[in-house]
Amino acid sequence: MDHWILILGTVLAAIGSVWGMVSVHRGTRSLWTIVWMLAVFVCQLVFLGFRGKEHGTCPLTDHGEILVFLSWALTLFYLLVGSTYRISLLGVFTAPVVTVFQSIALIPGVLDENPQKFTNGSFWHEIHSSTAVLAYGGFALAAVAAVMFLVLDKQLKEHHLKSGLFRNLPPVRELLVSMERLLQIAGTLLTLGIIAGFLMPHDHKALGHLLAAVAVWSGYGFLLGLKLVRGLTGRKLSLSVVIMFILSLGVFAFV
Amino acid sequence: MELLCLGLNHRTAPVEVRERFAVGSTKLGDASIELTAMNGVFEGVVISTCNRTEFYLVATTATEALVLLENHLVEKTQLEHHDQVVPHFYRKQKSEAARHLCRVVSGLDSMMLGETEIFGQVKHAYQSALGAGATSGVLNRLFQRAFGVGKKVRTETRIQEGSTSVGNVAVDLAEKIFGHLKDSEVMILGAGEMSRITAQSLVSRGARSIFVSNRSYDRAEELAKEMGGCAVRFDEWQSVLERVDIVISSTGAPHAIVQRADVEKARRARKYRPLFFIDIAVPRDIDPSVGEIEEVYLYDIDTLEQLADEARARRQKQIEECERIIDAELAKLNLPGT
Repeated sequence: MDHWILILGTVLAAIGSVWGMVSVHRGTRSLWTIVWMLAVFVCQLVFLGFRGKEHGTCPLTDHGEILVFLSWALTLFYLLVGSTYRISLLGVFTAPVVTVFQSIALIPGVLDENPQKFTNGSFWHEIHSSTAVLAYGGFALAAVAAVMFLVLDKQLKEHHLKSGLFRNLPPVRELLVSMERLLQIAGTLLTLGIIAGFLMPHDHKALGHLLAAVAVWSGYGFLLGLKLVRGLTGRKLSLSVVIMFILSLGVFAFV
Repeated sequence: MELLCLGLNHRTAPVEVRERFAVGSTKLGDASIELTAMNGVFEGVVISTCNRTEFYLVATTATEALVLLENHLVEKTQLEHHDQVVPHFYRKQKSEAARHLCRVVSGLDSMMLGETEIFGQVKHAYQSALGAGATSGVLNRLFQRAFGVGKKVRTETRIQEGSTSVGNVAVDLAEKIFGHLKDSEVMILGAGEMSRITAQSLVSRGARSIFVSNRSYDRAEELAKEMGGCAVRFDEWQSVLERVDIVISSTGAPHAIVQRADVEKARRARKYRPLFFIDIAVPRDIDPSVGEIEEVYLYDIDTLEQLADEARARRQKQIEECERIIDAELAKLNLPGT
């Protein structure tokens, strides 16, 4: 049952991606992207609810669940932040990322076919897992905004201003502000996640994961500090955010 | 009953003729009711803008009403050379008159193709006539339908897409970079007419403060006062560069005023925030290598003109589609008198 819900959510996200891209190509902004993403969000919630019930704990026990949780966090941030900062086009860029993550989760062997019941789950462990993955959702969305900035920056620099995408992209300054705010929110969540990680009972293997998380935290902290104190060009900030996000996914190799 | 339209516009009459027939916006109702006082005329609406004056009438016979109207106008404007002025008028009857009104409301007959201001101006003229009791069944239906057609044309085609003047292109680009301009500061280098117009457009869209720098400090002060900004001595503009977001340059200097080194010097203090340069001077005021700086967006007069030309061409391509909508909507109307 849970697999079918995930397949449905992935198909909806794929339709949302195509719909969004067609709208952008036509030079219009479709509110349907938000509706599709809301439907995807419900499917993710139902899937994670099923898995959580089967595990008796936060559903972050294999790479498949982590990818779905990450997609859920990404969709949640899009629904909350996208409308707040009036960058609904973010959905057009978010939907393909969610489709890819969930498609990988559906590859046989990535999701545990027979979820086990955990009886020794710790409170701090659950806090660590959920806040850390939420933080990654924020970092992922910041990376999406960074890609949007890089596209817009290139078009403005080269005076290519006729495409539907150019007309629909939010202004440069709005993208930069959104990126910075997302990094701040995600950074705060990651701080909480790391503190909870050190408080939970952990073995030698988990220590490697926690140290990798600290390295990610330091990297983003340095980037934000640099932006705040010295300043950074939009292009350097965006490239750093994209590269940092790709590198930071390596943390999950330790799970 | 027949519908007719008599009018002149920027294409058929020079300004010295147009101004003779212009009707003040507060007098449109009275002018409309005057039309209905003519023999055989039942309804009337007068539209008057800086580019056109048009009279829409519903009369027993269009040809007779046209003669009466021309005589009425000659008498009213006390023209001595009647024969020299009358050729400036265009005359449209029945369905042609209805079609013309729809084209006017849709901005297809405007000097700046697709402009939106005309919609409000026609609406005001119609409401004035309606308020004065100069309209009835035919013109009420016609104008209501024309407004519907105007809206449809604007929403279903790209007739108003893009900016068609250099100033508006620059302002649109500024909004694409900075979003709301209320948090943006502007510096003008050279107090010429083009910079003044562009800066005024930016201020009208909310730009926060204006700094004016000019070789003649008195001229800078004068323009700064006019725009509610501050004058800056010409040898001090580099220090202002640290805080502004948009620079409009239009000096008469024979060489580049803004060098790459000037901008490089200000980058750290600006914390590498985006900076938009609008160079409308010929020869150019801003060294092209300034545009190679990462956070700088540089547009010169040729690029802005090209963008405006492209927008105009895109609008031209939409005319056929607009005409198709107008014809389809008028066919549905089945209006008496057309």
